[in-house]
Amino acid sequence: MKKTLTLAAAALMALTLPNVSVARDLTIVGFGGGYQDSAREHLFEGYEAASGTAVSDDVYNGEMAKLYGMVETGNVTYDIIMVEAPELVRGCEDGIFAPIDYEVVDGSKFIEGATHECGVGGTGWGAAMFFDKAKHPNGPTTYAEFWDVEAFPGVRALRTGPKMTLEAALMADGVAKADVYDVLATDEGVERAFAKLDEIKDHLVWWKSGAQPLQLVGSGEVDYAFAYTGRIIRANGEGADYQLNWSTLLYSIDYWAVVSGSPMMDEAMKMVEWITSPEPLRAQAAVWPISPANAEVNADPALQAANPGMVLNHSDEGLFISTEFWIAHGDELQAKFTSWAAQ
Amino acid sequence: MSKKSRISWLLIAPLLALVVAGFILPIGYTMVKAVKNPEVTAALPRTVMVLDAWDGQGMPPDSAWDALADDIEESRRGREFGAMTRRLNFEMNGARSVLMQTRRALGSLEPPYAQSLPVAVPELATPEIWQLIKNNSNPFTASFLLRAVDLQFTPDGRIEAVPPGTAIFLDLFKRTFWISIWVTVICVVLAYPTAYYISSLSNRAASYAMLLVLVPFWTSILVRTTAWFILLQREGPINAGLQAAQITSEPLQLIFTRFAVYVAMVHVLLPFQILPLYSVMKRQGTSMLRAAASLGAPPWRQFLLVYLPLTMPGVAAGAVIVFMLSVGFYVTPALVGGLQDQMISYYIAFFTNQSINFGMVAALSLLLLVFTGALILIARRFVPGLGSLKAG
Repeated sequence: MKKTLTLAAAALMALTLPNVSVARDLTIVGFGGGYQDSAREHLFEGYEAASGTAVSDDVYNGEMAKLYGMVETGNVTYDIIMVEAPELVRGCEDGIFAPIDYEVVDGSKFIEGATHECGVGGTGWGAAMFFDKAKHPNGPTTYAEFWDVEAFPGVRALRTGPKMTLEAALMADGVAKADVYDVLATDEGVERAFAKLDEIKDHLVWWKSGAQPLQLVGSGEVDYAFAYTGRIIRANGEGADYQLNWSTLLYSIDYWAVVSGSPMMDEAMKMVEWITSPEPLRAQAAVWPISPANAEVNADPALQAANPGMVLNHSDEGLFISTEFWIAHGDELQAKFTSWAAQ
Repeated sequence: MSKKSRISWLLIAPLLALVVAGFILPIGYTMVKAVKNPEVTAALPRTVMVLDAWDGQGMPPDSAWDALADDIEESRRGREFGAMTRRLNFEMNGARSVLMQTRRALGSLEPPYAQSLPVAVPELATPEIWQLIKNNSNPFTASFLLRAVDLQFTPDGRIEAVPPGTAIFLDLFKRTFWISIWVTVICVVLAYPTAYYISSLSNRAASYAMLLVLVPFWTSILVRTTAWFILLQREGPINAGLQAAQITSEPLQLIFTRFAVYVAMVHVLLPFQILPLYSVMKRQGTSMLRAAASLGAPPWRQFLLVYLPLTMPGVAAGAVIVFMLSVGFYVTPALVGGLQDQMISYYIAFFTNQSINFGMVAALSLLLLVFTGALILIARRFVPGLGSLKAG
C-alpha cells in the first residue's frame, strides 16, 4: 500500500512539475556498508578522477518498486545500480535495465556466468554456516551435522524464506550439490526438503537482515548460524573466533546494471567498463575483501593469498544459487514455506 | 457562480487537492493494478487472436503453432516475453520454463511448427498451456484478488481453492486482525488508568508525567523495537534478572515469540491511546463524578454510568488509531517475532521487492483496506462513538 501510494504520488509529481532536466552527477547505487565505502574510494572516485565526470553514490536495500517507479514515470535519477541476479533477470525482462553496450564494456574479461544482457558481474557473495569456536570447540562442519541436534545440541539460525534454506535441507539429507536443483524442481524433492526442515523446526530461529546472525551468535542467543561470509570474515578480523565452513557455501554474483532511460547512458556504460577493470579492482581488494567477477583479478594468486575469503575462489566447495530456478519457483516455494512455518 | 461560493471553493481547494492526491488517486490506482492483465496479449497478440476463435476443447488449430512461433520470434526484439512468462507461471507453475524452452527450441526449428514444436517441447502437445494463454488474454483478471483469498482458476476457467500446502493469505489476514485487535484491547486497558492518573495530577506534575509518554512517542519505532530485542533475548537483562531472582532456572524463550510482538507493539502504540484519552479526561474534569456522588451513586456506578460513557469518545478515537496502525505493522513483528508472527505487510513487501508482482501487491493492499473498513464498520455498531473520531 505504502509503495503504491509512493508510486502514485511520484506519478502525480511527475505530471505536475515542469519537466526541467537539471544537470546532475552520474549516480551509482549499491547496497551500502563497508563494501560501498571501499568502492566509493577506489571505483567511484577513481572513475571521477580518470574521466572528469562528477560521480555521486547512493544506497538502497534492493527495493525494486522504487526503480520501477522511476522508469515508469520517466524520472530516472539513478544511472548505475548493483542488483542481485534474479532482480537483474526480471528487471531486464521488464525493460527496467538497459542492455549493456558490449562495444564499450569488454565482455571477455569476466568469469563465466558473469555477463548478462543487462548487467555484468560486480562482486561475488556467499553465505555459509558458522559458529563461535570459543563456545563450541568442535561444532558442526557440514549440513548433515548442522541438522544433527543429538550430537550438536543448541539453537540454529537460518535465513527467513525458502531460498538457500531448502538447498541446505536437501544437502543435509544427502543430496549431492550438483543434483540439488533437479531434486528441488520435483514435488517429491520439495516434500523431502520440508520434511528435513521439520526435523529441526523446534531448534530454529530465523533471521532477516544480514547483521542479525552475527548479533545472534555473538550474544549467545544462537549456537550455529547461516550467514553471509563477508560478515563472518569481518567479525573475525575484529577479534571474534568464528569457524566458517566453506563446504556449506551457497553463492551468487551481484551485477552492475544501467537503468533504462538514464539521461547519461553513454557515460554510465563507460563507468561500468572502468569499475570492472583490473586496476581499480586491485586497489579496492587491497582494502576490502571483495570477490570481483573480473577473471584476471579473481585468479590473481597474490590477491587470493591476501584475501582467503574471496567467495569465487571457493566455488568448487560451494553451490551456485540458481537464478532461473528461483524466478520459476520462488512464489510457489515462498507460499509453501510460509504455510509450513505457520504450522 | 457567486463570489461567495467561489471563495469557499478556493478555501477548500487545498483540502480537495489533498484528498484527491492522497486518497482517491492512490486507491483508484491500486484497484486498477489489482485487476489489470495486459501481459499475455502484449507478448502474444497473434496467438491470442487465433485462440480467440478456438473453443478451448482438445488441441488448438495448427495455425496457433505458427502464430506462437511468430509471436516469440517477434518478442526477441521487444521486452514483453519475460513478463508474460512470469504472469503465466503465476497461474500455473512450470509455464515459464515451458515457454523459455520453446523460445530456445525455436532457434533451430523449421516450419510447419505444428509438427516440429511438439516434438521439441512435449509440454506444448497438451491443451493446458494453450488454455492458459486463452484464459489470460482478457485485459482484466480476478486472479490476483482470488489468490489473495487462497483461490485460483483451473486451466479450464473454474475457480477452486489452492492446494492446502500453499494456502496462506486467509490465515495471514486472520492473524493480522487477531494481533491488531489484541494490541488495541491491551492498549485501551493500559492507557485508561494511565490517562486518568495523569489527568488527576496538578498541571505541573501532569506535564512531567506527560513527558514520560511523549519521549518514547518521539523516539523512532526502529529504536524502540531494537531495544525490546535486546531486553528480551536469551542472555538479555530480563532473563538475567529472572535467573538472579531465582524465579527461573534457565533462560526463557522470550524473543521471536508472539509475546514479544505484543509487548513491542503495545509499547510503540500506547501513546496513540493515551493522548486522545487524556485530552478527553482533562476536558471532562471531575464535576460530573462529584454530581453523581452527591446524588448517592457508589463509585462503581459513577464510573460505569457517568465517567466511562463520557470518556468513550477518547477510547474510541485512540482505539481506531491504534488498530489502523497495527494492521499495517511490519518492522516490529519482523524483528522480535518468529515466523508464526508475521503479518500481511510482510507479504506485501515480499511481492513488491522480491517477486515483483504488483498485481498481488495491489490485491493484498486492497483487501486489507476493505477488511479493515468492514471491521471498523462492524465495531461501530457495538461501540458507541467509534469512528466518529470526536476527541471530546
